[in-house]
Amino acid sequence: MTMLLAILLVLGSAMHARAAEPDQLARGKYVFGATGGCGCHTEPKGVLNAGGRKYDGPFGTVYSSNITPDPKAGIGSWTDEQIITAIRLGRRPNGERILPVHPFTSFNGMAEDDLAALVKFLRSVPPASKAAPAKKITIPMFESVFLPAWLMTFASKETPPSAAPVSGVARGEYLVRAVGHCGECHTPRSALTMAVDSSRFLAGNTKKTGPEGQATPNLTPDKGTGLDWNEEQIVTYLQTGNRPDGDVAGGLMGEVIQGTAAGYKDLTKADLQAIARYLKSIPAVKNKIE
Amino acid sequence: MIRGTTIHLSILMLGLVAAMVSACTTGSAPRMVGTGDVVYDRQRLMKIQGAQWNEIQAKFKAGDIKGLAANAEVEAVTSMQIPSLFPEGSLTTQSKAKPEVWERWGEFEATAKNMTIWSERLRDAAQANDQKAVADIMKDYGRVTCGACHTTFRQPQTQR
Repeated sequence: MTMLLAILLVLGSAMHARAAEPDQLARGKYVFGATGGCGCHTEPKGVLNAGGRKYDGPFGTVYSSNITPDPKAGIGSWTDEQIITAIRLGRRPNGERILPVHPFTSFNGMAEDDLAALVKFLRSVPPASKAAPAKKITIPMFESVFLPAWLMTFASKETPPSAAPVSGVARGEYLVRAVGHCGECHTPRSALTMAVDSSRFLAGNTKKTGPEGQATPNLTPDKGTGLDWNEEQIVTYLQTGNRPDGDVAGGLMGEVIQGTAAGYKDLTKADLQAIARYLKSIPAVKNKIE
Repeated sequence: MIRGTTIHLSILMLGLVAAMVSACTTGSAPRMVGTGDVVYDRQRLMKIQGAQWNEIQAKFKAGDIKGLAANAEVEAVTSMQIPSLFPEGSLTTQSKAKPEVWERWGEFEATAKNMTIWSERLRDAAQANDQKAVADIMKDYGRVTCGACHTTFRQPQTQR
């Protein structure tokens, strides 16, 4: 009888694990959407997560990686832990550094359970066998000397919570700072070092320091130079791309709202409200972006 | 006989002249419209479209479903004008357009056409007072019409 109970318990547990799988997959897709759909890894109208998007920088040219489950071209042969290490620490399984074009200094603040779910989702999409083109670094000893020194000196890192906050301003902060990695584009960078100025969090970038040569708006609640929308307008914008003035989001912001398999538009209203509330709570920074 | 031929020739000539005048005034060559500053004109058109979209959203919120059909019609008609407002060589310093407009002209035209299609669908659903259909269209309208074009073909907005 005891034996039978034990077998039933084991079977029940296994069935529960299988039943939990779709939930985790859905959560992974949700987290994927909250990152903006990992859009850097999908060319416009290209194969989902197949990489190959070109990014030019002062160091040369890099192409986003294929993060589909293809075992050769993608991350199919990596363990879950190796994928999580790449996402949050910027290291490949062979120890090679991933350039901080990949926002690992922000993703470092993601909760373990969100990352685990995200990995499940990444493994669920169709594999793509085309490898991304090789990077072309033009600065000698960039990766062996300059990059580690830069990371040590300038790269700030988020602190991961033990579990993802579920509501309120804390939830908004988590989504903005870590998962949504808004600071990567919206926090001013030094024109000389490209280091992020965390003391002016989300105060915007000019074309000179903005992503892909694009200026990004000041999102702090500064009167005159910052975001003067109310919470409902922020929610509507992130959900639909519709601005209060009748304009509609474009550029990289349009991309992350739309996402790929999912984007900001797919976040729940509660999460969007948490983001809006958090944005209203951050210190105002005067910084006029032309 | 000669007189008859002359009359026929005169009629033919008159016809030709009339045809030429007609071609010059109403024929295949497009008539000049607008202010002559095509960048200014297209920015005006986009502002009108933005205002219509704002009004559509306000009317939807207020439950005036039939009322937004007129605004959707304006969106449909104005979107048809978009390609003609982007002639080659009109990428001036005042323009927020990206070179991709002309590099990927077919895609640009298709995006404008898509806006017409979506606007007409919205108009028809609104005229039928079909609240659910209108809501379904409006959920994606901004992103797939204006947003699709702005993402690929316009420099991002920096002012909030």
